[in-house]
Amino acid sequence: MPGILTATLRPYLNAVRATLQAALCLENFSSQVVERHNKPEVEVRSSKELLLQPVIISRNDKEKVLIEGSINSVRVSIAVKQADEIEKILCHKFMRFMMMRAENFFILRRKPVENWDLLFSHHQLPHGADVQAQAGGLRHPLHGGDRQGDQRDEVVCQRQGPYRRRGVPQKCKSSCMSFFSPRSFKFYLTSMFLTSAVLRKFPNIPYADHDRHHGF
Amino acid sequence: MAKNTLSSRFRKLDIDEFDENKFVDDHDEAVDNQGPDATEIDNLIRIGDTMTAFQLALRNPPLNTKNPAIKERALAIVLRVLTSFKSSDIEPAVKSLDRSGVDLLMKYIYRGFEKPSDNSSAILLQWHEKAFAVGGLGSIVRVLTARKTV
Repeated sequence: MPGILTATLRPYLNAVRATLQAALCLENFSSQVVERHNKPEVEVRSSKELLLQPVIISRNDKEKVLIEGSINSVRVSIAVKQADEIEKILCHKFMRFMMMRAENFFILRRKPVENWDLLFSHHQLPHGADVQAQAGGLRHPLHGGDRQGDQRDEVVCQRQGPYRRRGVPQKCKSSCMSFFSPRSFKFYLTSMFLTSAVLRKFPNIPYADHDRHHGF
Repeated sequence: MAKNTLSSRFRKLDIDEFDENKFVDDHDEAVDNQGPDATEIDNLIRIGDTMTAFQLALRNPPLNTKNPAIKERALAIVLRVLTSFKSSDIEPAVKSLDRSGVDLLMKYIYRGFEKPSDNSSAILLQWHEKAFAVGGLGSIVRVLTARKTV
């Protein structure tokens, strides 16, 4: 990584990586409450037995990562250091930028959890022929998923901003890369994550059930 | 719509409570471990015998109690011991633990991360690294899935 490598950075990143590796062990799990629905349990939080203990890894009191896991989904919240006013403003602007393009990230959540800056979400879905059928009911888990058979992605229709059709413009892509530089930014994102597309974009995330390897 | 003119008391019942498949955490109010002994550990730290203090601190973890005060107290004691270690002493300390000791240490480390203060995170990160080297991913998974937190 570019920038100054302080003594705590490497152990911090290693600790986060190890914890993520442990937490990102997901399997498909349909909702126990509503039949034929598949909800990310870490968002719904309806059943205690499906949730893992949330853990925090902190480098100092300003920078930490919160990892909440469950049986089929994981939520990663990142608190980024903002040292002064100008950085706060920079971060705010940058995060608004990211928020509008959250669909293209697929795993970015629009709304960060209270007091955290940036939120990633990953949901393990079933793969195979019946994904679409389940996705019909599943498409908007945060709306309660009661749109059986509604295949349109309502999120996209509602948020037809100027960038939707063109995709992310080239210059925006390069600033997305600088997201991960050690300069501090504050990210303020609101998004609804696209659950059905996540798995197709990230086929190499480990999952518990190796048999269900239908063609990707 | 015609209201059912007979008693509607049944509507106030929450039948999910009576579902026999409903998950309940088993409450084990068994031996109530009060956490390590503060005075003894303080003495040991003062004379510099961090190793023994460490062994003592990891005994009697307050796993079963629901009282947050006891857990806070135990956590504070353990953190004091962990932060008083020098970097070079961490590895032999971790090696001296057995499997469940490493798991318990990991639990305390993650609890310690929740309240970062001064330099505690830096030393905790080193503890994490060494404990991970010994315990592996399994120790982290056992922290995540534990129903009884320290």
